[in-house]
Amino acid sequence: MAEQGQDTNASADGGDRPGAQGAPGSASVGPPGAPADPGPHAAGVGRTVLRIEHLSKTFPGTVALNDVSIEIERGTVHCLVGGNGSGKSSLIKILAGVSQGDPGGTITVDQSSEDATRTSPEWARSAGLHFVHQDLAVFPMLSVAENLAIGRGFPVATPAKAIRWRELRAQAKTVLERFSVSVDPSRLLRDLRPADRTMVAIARALQDQSSASEGILVLDEPTVALPAHEVDLLLSALRRYADAGQTILLVTHRLEEVVRIADRVTVLRDGKLAATLEAPGITEEQLVELIVGRTLDRDAVARDTADDDDVVLSAFDVSGGPLRSVTFGLRRGEVLGVAGLLGSGRTKLLSMLFGAYPVAHGTIRLDGEEVRFASVDDAMDRGIAFVPEDRSESAFVGMSLRENLSAANVSEYWHGFRLHQRAEAQDARQTIAQFSIKATSERQPFSTLSGGNQQKAIVARWLRRQPKVLLLDEPTQGVDIEARGEIYRLVRQAVAAGSSVIVVTSDFEELARVSDRVLILTQGRVTAVLRPPDVEVSRITQLVLSTAGAGAPLEVNHP
Amino acid sequence: MTVVEGAVPEGQPLPSSPPRLEAESRVLLNIERFALPGLLIVVLLFFSLWSKTGATFRSVTDLREVGSNQAYIGVLALASLFPLVCGEFDFSVGQVAGFSQIVVATAMARFHVPLPFAIVLAVLFGAIVGLNNGNVVARVGVNSLIVTLGTSGILLGVVNWYTASQSISEGISSKLVTFGSANFLGIPDVCYLLLGAAVVAYYVLEHTPYGRYLTSIGSNARAARLVGLRVERLKLSAFVISGALAGLAGVLLVAKNGSASPQAGSVLDTLTALAAAYLGATSIRPGRFNVLGAMLAIYFIAFSISGLAIAGVQSWVNNVFYGAALFIAVVVSTVIGRRRAGVT
Repeated sequence: MAEQGQDTNASADGGDRPGAQGAPGSASVGPPGAPADPGPHAAGVGRTVLRIEHLSKTFPGTVALNDVSIEIERGTVHCLVGGNGSGKSSLIKILAGVSQGDPGGTITVDQSSEDATRTSPEWARSAGLHFVHQDLAVFPMLSVAENLAIGRGFPVATPAKAIRWRELRAQAKTVLERFSVSVDPSRLLRDLRPADRTMVAIARALQDQSSASEGILVLDEPTVALPAHEVDLLLSALRRYADAGQTILLVTHRLEEVVRIADRVTVLRDGKLAATLEAPGITEEQLVELIVGRTLDRDAVARDTADDDDVVLSAFDVSGGPLRSVTFGLRRGEVLGVAGLLGSGRTKLLSMLFGAYPVAHGTIRLDGEEVRFASVDDAMDRGIAFVPEDRSESAFVGMSLRENLSAANVSEYWHGFRLHQRAEAQDARQTIAQFSIKATSERQPFSTLSGGNQQKAIVARWLRRQPKVLLLDEPTQGVDIEARGEIYRLVRQAVAAGSSVIVVTSDFEELARVSDRVLILTQGRVTAVLRPPDVEVSRITQLVLSTAGAGAPLEVNHP
Repeated sequence: MTVVEGAVPEGQPLPSSPPRLEAESRVLLNIERFALPGLLIVVLLFFSLWSKTGATFRSVTDLREVGSNQAYIGVLALASLFPLVCGEFDFSVGQVAGFSQIVVATAMARFHVPLPFAIVLAVLFGAIVGLNNGNVVARVGVNSLIVTLGTSGILLGVVNWYTASQSISEGISSKLVTFGSANFLGIPDVCYLLLGAAVVAYYVLEHTPYGRYLTSIGSNARAARLVGLRVERLKLSAFVISGALAGLAGVLLVAKNGSASPQAGSVLDTLTALAAAYLGATSIRPGRFNVLGAMLAIYFIAFSISGLAIAGVQSWVNNVFYGAALFIAVVVSTVIGRRRAGVT
């Protein structure tokens, strides 16, 4: 595979850069006119502006990047794709200078080379690498003009340093026109539609370039939060910028976007370069095969039904928020995995089952009986437990470990007009031992525990209630490897004790290891259900990615 | 922290930090915990033994005076604690007390309502104001500082309009006035009332699930919702309790002064109560608003100021002392707390 990559790379070097018009789907992309600066267009195109050579990055126990070499040419949209853990984010972090190569490599931007062990945010800035992350880092309560000025400085009148508002507006207008963003500079950013917000963030990142052929724009999953029609808007804009000579490195999970917009695409797999390909003519299937690392078998993927005798919790035709007509059943004593990209509705699904998010349509049944949870405590009374994705939604950091452990069952210690704190402490010590939480005592402030131990305590909080259904949202995020193993050991214990579990995680390897079946969620729809022997990483990755961005479900569901 | 008593089953948790650090942090915690009671004792000893102030400071009348004067502020501090514990401000407690004294006095003087009913009326009135505050804060979601500040302004205006800025001193039940000045076993009656209220508040906040729920909401409202707490309802109830206690404080004010004055019970008293709650949160259970800490804070400040006054210090010094005590306590406590948590 790696050889294939180098081959295509080599052939690309000699050949002409394919015109933007060659990209499939470019018909829907905006008119190729209106480039802000057509001058350097012709001159700059086809030359390598960013060359990454032999870049490696190792973490204790894992190799995140292994001898990766990529060349990016001026005025092209270069996409970077790969599954979870393929090394995409490690590479972007090194380019941004927030992390360094180890043992290293070389990064060359416009002739000037830098040792990858010495990258820094200052270096990235001076090299002309401009980043727009998924979280745009814009200020919703400030106007567009203020947002644009905030990094570069406000125009001020000399004596009192007062802002010259008229000049600020004029500057903003110029910048917005240059990047063809048609918004009023005095509007608040929060009032813009999401695609325009992203475009303002891009304009802010690029405004100091004197021409489009300078610098490189790096976009990290910019379309995750955008609805479909706004994705079109953004992609058209990116195409226009590239046609004007702007070099764009686009990291995305949505392969449909790659097919539509990319001039070239680099696929990473397990930290290695899988291939760099000319994008025109490429199909999603080809990309998925490269990402997964093997040819696809299009065998049966069953659709799940909600009616089964042994189903403990089921959803039938449930919609609400991003979810569209979701139907599935959770069997007794089963660990059901849910896989989907960010924005696929996976977190909302769990929130709905827990009564923390309204169900717009459809029915949820628990033990065959229709339930409509008015609130979280309703769901808790019926035996449902939920560990949210973000510890900021589950940890009481200012309180003690004991209080955190009993947060969901304090009332059990209340009888005879007394809170039996000694019994509570006794139980806390027992839980600490049973769940091997590393703490000096049950009175230790929760904030002083490590992330892994905090998470164990939060899982323990819910397992104490011996839930009928345990919902876990990214239970091992930001948790060290040892604690991961322990958390899943606890989950298996709970299953043995009679719980049924739904687990959402973007670590597909983990998902494959712990799940009995896996539900694939794509843009709010259940597109497939995997059973053994299909419950494995490449299969999950394939299904999650190959349906990403596609409006219709994957047609592989023969019974 | 002391060693955990009780048997821990096998697989005893390992200490997460080296023992020396552990010991150091334990020492720091204890310094922090007992700084305020320690200072209170130092202040009492100093002013009792200093020749310039000793005789007057030690006198029973002076001690009683300080004790009974602070009972009203003490109840007000308890009132402010309930919203504070769940992460909200009640800036209206002082003014609710101010209005409540007009309610209790008017009920007796103009409508000849018997004392017990007048008191119930005043407390009920406070609870209704709290209900309104809590409703807007918890259900509508407006910032509590703004809501209660607004309430405070409205109440002040209404009091001034209704009383025409005149005190009500006729027709107030003599039983109430007697209660305000009488002693039992040498201690002012109002101090027993404060003690009773404080014990109940302590019990509710520290020894009931309800108190734990309020603390959880104050610690992380989103997480509280996700462990099944009805956050809005609980916050609302905290404001109702706050209002009712402030109403009771108003009754106490009438008992103490023998009259209801539109000037008594103001935003200034609110600030004093809030400051005591904050100062108290640096002690006993550092980092948490707690009843005992707040009570110690009130008497620490009161006895210090009384001692300074006897020593002939000009009255502006009181304000400086007061502000400085709060400032230093909060800064020191934050620094110690950070060191203890291992954050530098």
